[in-house]
Amino acid sequence: MKRIVLALALLLPALPVHGALRVFACEPEWAALIRELAGDRAEVFSATTAQQDPHRIEARPSLIAQLRRADLLVCTGAELEAGWLPMLLRRANNAKVQIGAAGHFEAAAHVELLEKPARADRADGDVHAAGNPHLHLDPRNIARVARALSARLAELDAANAATYQARHDDFQQRWRQAIERWEASAAPLRGVPVVVAHRSWPYLLRWLGLEEVAALEPKPGVPPNSGHLAEVLALAQARRVPMALYAAYQDPRPARWLAERSEVTAVELPFTVGGGGSADLFELFELTVTRLLEARR
Amino acid sequence: MSAGLEWSIIGPAFLAGLVVLATHVPLGREVLARGIVFIDLAIAQIAALGVIAAYGLGLEDSPWAIQAAAAGAALLGALLMTWTERRWPQLQEALIGTAFVLAASGGLLLLAGSPHGGEHLKDLLAGQILWVSYAEVGAVALVSALLLAARAYLARRASRAGFYLIFAVAVTASVQLVGVYLVFASLIVPALACRGLDTARALPLGFALGALGYGLGLLVSAWRDLPSGPVIVWTLAALALPCGLALRRRPLSPRRARPQGVDARGP
Repeated sequence: MKRIVLALALLLPALPVHGALRVFACEPEWAALIRELAGDRAEVFSATTAQQDPHRIEARPSLIAQLRRADLLVCTGAELEAGWLPMLLRRANNAKVQIGAAGHFEAAAHVELLEKPARADRADGDVHAAGNPHLHLDPRNIARVARALSARLAELDAANAATYQARHDDFQQRWRQAIERWEASAAPLRGVPVVVAHRSWPYLLRWLGLEEVAALEPKPGVPPNSGHLAEVLALAQARRVPMALYAAYQDPRPARWLAERSEVTAVELPFTVGGGGSADLFELFELTVTRLLEARR
Repeated sequence: MSAGLEWSIIGPAFLAGLVVLATHVPLGREVLARGIVFIDLAIAQIAALGVIAAYGLGLEDSPWAIQAAAAGAALLGALLMTWTERRWPQLQEALIGTAFVLAASGGLLLLAGSPHGGEHLKDLLAGQILWVSYAEVGAVALVSALLLAARAYLARRASRAGFYLIFAVAVTASVQLVGVYLVFASLIVPALACRGLDTARALPLGFALGALGYGLGLLVSAWRDLPSGPVIVWTLAALALPCGLALRRRPLSPRRARPQGVDARGP
């Protein structure tokens, strides 16, 4: 008996703060944001990594186990996780994180989405009816989501509301300064034409004032065909496009194909926290802006 | 990490595996005897083609219409294969392979016009065993029981069309439950390990081997937190290999001295 007590006592320092919120994040960017806003008050699990396509994931037992014990689920929403989250929610069967519960947080509900289709026509490709879900690539959206998420943390864990408020204020201040810094250094990118692999970047492009002249996929989710590629190539040469963007988790071959036949540089961007070795949200945007500026030269 | 090691998490997946094995162990023996190993890939792909066509016709809102399209296409494919086996028996394997690539690339051509079918196509071919609920296992178990009854009835008549039709429905149902890799492994691997035995011994042994493979695979997947489907494929193969080798070394008794695979129902 004594030995068991001793063993348990030795285990204690390894555990997070007693009563910490258990957070299940669908994507690494939201896990990173929770770490900023809650620190050691939350124990965070990220369902996907920067090397994975968040549209689809392989089912692992830990996904069900983690969601089952979660107090809060933080996802992008806007149908990004439509391919797996409904099945996972059903299998986890945890009332705290079901749609409509306080423990179910969707970032897309707190920002204005781009590319909302005027008509939801299947003929236009793999279009999300709610709008483009890759909203985290505009840092001003991160600030908006942070505000709502911090309020949600305070609601779920009222005893620590003051801590969340203080961490949030501190984060917002550092984030504002960082945005000013990035915007100043990215000024030369304004008006630069770019080609994208998949339409993952509208928020980043709008923030920095880059212009998307073409996508290598003729419609989202449809592989390129020869006629479309010839058009993109002609356009890239005519507009003297300097770069083609693709995410760390995407196939680099279409962008490289274009780079071999024109002046275009294929640029791999981290896309989310963990991509390109970025450790947090600050490094994610730092690295993104740096890579874009390098390719501009 | 062993956070996933709970019956409520891996239990439905294990039962799904047993249901799939119930039809696939006997069917796999027959597939091996006929030398048409890739037929399940072809049938699954043809079922997917039917689903894409249903999307093209605007039927995507009715799950029953999608299931009917998948089963209908698979049954048409099965009838076609029954006919080709009668017409060109030596070419059957090559024709099945060709049917597979035609169905797969035909699907891509149709998708160029209606890409939203692509999502469902991937769901159909890449069923994920961990997402399975008890209700889904129950539904497929019912279908499997009906198929086994039909097979027992048809066995007395050595019906070629019966085999292909039962096979088409079994594969279409199980592929949505566990995905195409596990369907292939459940069909071929236990049959391969027990190919030297007569049916009365091969079926129970194949089923036990399969059940052990699924159970061990799910445990390893929970223990190492790896995707369950691919792990089960590997544990099935890892168990089948020594089993198959041990059975081969045993001298054939007169009862088993017949050419392999020739059953009461042989072609």
